[in-house]
This record gives sequence, structure tokens and C-alpha cells, in this order.
Amino acid sequence: MSFAYEAGRDILKQLSLEFDHRSTALIGQNGAGKTTLVKLLKGLLRPSTGDIFIRGINTKEVTVAQLSRHVGLVFQNPNDQIFKRTVLDEVMFGPLNLKQDRHAARESAVLALQRVGLADKLEANPHDLGLSEKKLVSIASILAMNTDILILDEPTIAQDFAGKERIKEIIQSLKAEGKLVLTIIHDMDFVAENFERTVVLNQGRVLLDGSTREVFSHKELLRQACLDTPYITQLAERLGIPQTILTAREFIEWQQKNSERRETNAQHM
Amino acid sequence: MSLYVNRHSLVHSVDPITKLYYIGAAIVVPFIAPSFHAAWVCLLLSVSLLLIARVFHRAMPILGFVAFVLATVIVIQSLFHPGNATAWFHIGSIGVYQEGFWYALGICFRATNIVCAFSILVLTTKPSDLVEALVRKGLSPRIGYVLSSVFQIIPQMVATMGTITDAQRSRGMETEGNLLVRIRAFFPLLGPVVLSSLLNTKERALALQVRGFNATGEKTFLHEQQTYQYSAVLQWGLIGVVIIVVIWRILS
Repeated sequence: MSFAYEAGRDILKQLSLEFDHRSTALIGQNGAGKTTLVKLLKGLLRPSTGDIFIRGINTKEVTVAQLSRHVGLVFQNPNDQIFKRTVLDEVMFGPLNLKQDRHAARESAVLALQRVGLADKLEANPHDLGLSEKKLVSIASILAMNTDILILDEPTIAQDFAGKERIKEIIQSLKAEGKLVLTIIHDMDFVAENFERTVVLNQGRVLLDGSTREVFSHKELLRQACLDTPYITQLAERLGIPQTILTAREFIEWQQKNSERRETNAQHM
Repeated sequence: MSLYVNRHSLVHSVDPITKLYYIGAAIVVPFIAPSFHAAWVCLLLSVSLLLIARVFHRAMPILGFVAFVLATVIVIQSLFHPGNATAWFHIGSIGVYQEGFWYALGICFRATNIVCAFSILVLTTKPSDLVEALVRKGLSPRIGYVLSSVFQIIPQMVATMGTITDAQRSRGMETEGNLLVRIRAFFPLLGPVVLSSLLNTKERALALQVRGFNATGEKTFLHEQQTYQYSAVLQWGLIGVVIIVVIWRILS
């Protein structure tokens, strides 16, 4: 599949990708084509050549609204999305479009707002909330639509620690429900902790695609794409730990195992 | 983003103020001059200027729209002008008259000429250059800012409209399909578009104040003044033409 905004200038160049149930992070420097790819998956753009199939549906043959039953997209900037006067109405908008009756829509909305921790703000005007809460509202409004595929564009932007933990929980629970979570993200630590698969885009092509651990072991290739590895991975590498460490927990476990080994070695001597 | 077409031509190198003089003359002369010929001569001049600037094809959509309106003027005047006397031919019992036709044609030439004159300004001058030229001439920078933000805000609102539409389509709102579906989708989107424009305006006002927009004292300009060596000659020439036409009208 290729895509160009202007004829002759391909933004995405002959991509061939398949997404499965594994939660997947899309990374790459600005302008690599991440947002364009996501818009294509959502049907907002249609490929110039080739086709995209979502659960067997060709995105060229349905409207974006019809596709929204299967794919949910949380926009990077919540202000682009929020347009109702109360948080509850905002989150109910999607389910109502999916032809749920008011009662069921309200239920889905309240449930989604509980998941993002905003159940106490049902009647608040979303425009009075801060940026991080607005972002959570926009996530809830997609969660309420209960799609099988959920795409998050920069979910951790403007989130403090608590917000990030909340989003982490949501992603984990979606994974547990067997849903595909796809995200565009620049926060490598967040990628390492939460995503099984990572796809690296560079100048409209797939540079790397594999399990997150494998991708982060290709330090040189990542550097070519102007990307860093997670801090803990860098630390482990500088300490000379041979394997690719992805999280603080892994790091501690390795250290403990290592010191145990050293102790047993010392006892043997 | 504007209608401005970046080219190098004689017309492009003329300063914005002289083009404003030209618009003034293009409005006044054909209406005051007591001759039908003045109308088409002026029109010919304006069209030639558009051709010299190589932007005539960009003026076509505007002219096409105006032509549609003017065609109705020709039809109505040819049929119902009060001075109608000499019939060209009859369609059934309705006569098509020469007097009305020529009268309408005069109106068409004059109106098209005004549109062309404005097109010359809009298509060959960057909006910011125009505003800057006016501020140099003594226009208050505040009004100058309002003018230039009008030029900016429309493309910006179109872009915002696109993003917001995408966001709502993503949540299952049907915006594709027949006219009724599109109209129904359009109105709920107006709220967020206007709201986000207002928010942007507020942010921008703050950003301007932070950078000393309200500071008193002499202000300098970032760009060098665009000067054209024959500006004064052209401006006085245009004023001269207007005066001559006025005298001609009084004497005839």
C-alpha cells in the first residue's frame, strides 16, 4: 500500500503490514508517516495504491462512520474532538452514533468514564477541564464505543505520573479483553513497558518490525531513524549487561540474579 | 495561504498602494466618463494587466461567477429596460431590444472591470505586504493587524473544520453521502470551529501583548519597504486621468 497527498510525492512507500492481537507501538521521528498511516487505518484517508482491510472490510468501500464500529481513534489534540457541553454528552456521542439507545449509550459512557477516573465529572463542561483531563475524556469517548481496534495518538502527552499510570491500566485491560491497541508514541519508556510489538517507521518505510525487545536491541538502526532506546535499556547497556533490558523490574531482577550468582560463586571458592 | 500567486512580473513589482489607486480609478473612470467606449477600453486595460502578470487563469473562477450574475442582467435589461424601442427580434410575444442590451453590456463591462482591478491587487500582492504598506501610510497597527488576521483566519478555519470533521466522522457521524446528510452533519460542527477560533484569538492576543504589541513609541518594520521607481508617476497619472474624465463629463 502506498499513499501520497500530492501525486508523485509518496508519504508512505509500499508498506505491507499485518496487525494481530498484539499491542503495537508505532514509533518514528516527526514526519515519518505515523499519523498518515493511522488515518489510513481509520479510513480518513484512502491508499493511493494497494488496499487496507480491517477485519475483511476494504477501507475504500465503506464510509468512515461505518468503519467507526470497528476502529476507534483518539486524536492527539483533544480540542479537535470535544464539542458537547457536558462530559457525559461528549462520551455518549459515539455510542449514540452506533445506534445504541439512550439508556445503553449512557451506561457505556458512564462505564468508560469510570475507567478513566472521571466518573465524578459527568456534568462538567469538558472545556473547563485541564488538558490532561480533556485527553482522558477523549479516550473515554472512544472506549465507550467498544471497538475491537483502538488507536491512540500520543496518549501520554500532558499526562502526569498518575495520568500515565491510568492510561497504562486502560491499555493493559484492553489487552486482557483481546483488543488490538495501536499507538503512536514518542515516550520510549512507555513503549517498553506496555507494548509487545513495535514498528519503526522511517521516511515512509518500515525500518524495523518485531517484538519490542528485539526492536530495542537494534540500537544503531534506531539511531539512524533518530530514535533513542528507553533510559533503563541505555543504563543496562552502559553497565555492560549483555541482554536487552526493557523495564526497571527486569533490571532489578537481573541485578539480583547476578549478585546471587556472584555469592554462590564466592561460596564455591 | 491566500489567493496570492508568487511570480515575477511588471505588475508584481508595483507597490500595493499604487494598485489601490488603480482600483479607485477603475471604479470611477468608466462610470463617470460619458462614453460607452470608456467602459470597454478600461476593461481591456485591466485584462491586459492580468495577462501581463500571468495570473489571468487564476482570476477565471471569480470572473466566471460574476459572469453568471451579469448574464441575468443582460437578459432582464434586453427584455424590460424602460428605454427599449428598437426590437431585434421576438420570441413569441416577448421582444428582445437593442437599447436594453447595450445598456446591460455597459454595466457588465464596468462591473467586470472592477472585479479585474481587485483581482490584480489580490492575485499579485501578498496580504501582509498590503497591510504593511497601509500601516506605513499611517494606518493604525491595530487595524492593520485586524485586516491581516482576516486574511489568515479563513484558511485557518477551513483547516480546523477539516480536523474537527475528521474527529466526528471517527466517532461514527455520517458526513459522506447525499446533501441532507451533509447539511445535518455541518451544523453541529460549527460550534467547535467557532469556539476553537475564539480560543485561538485569545491566545494570539496574549502572545502579541507579551511581545510588546501595545508598546508605545516608534515601531520599525521587519521587511524592507517595497518601492517601485515609477510609483509617484503612476499615482499622479491615475489621479490626472480621473480629473480629466470628471472635466470631460462636466463639459459634455
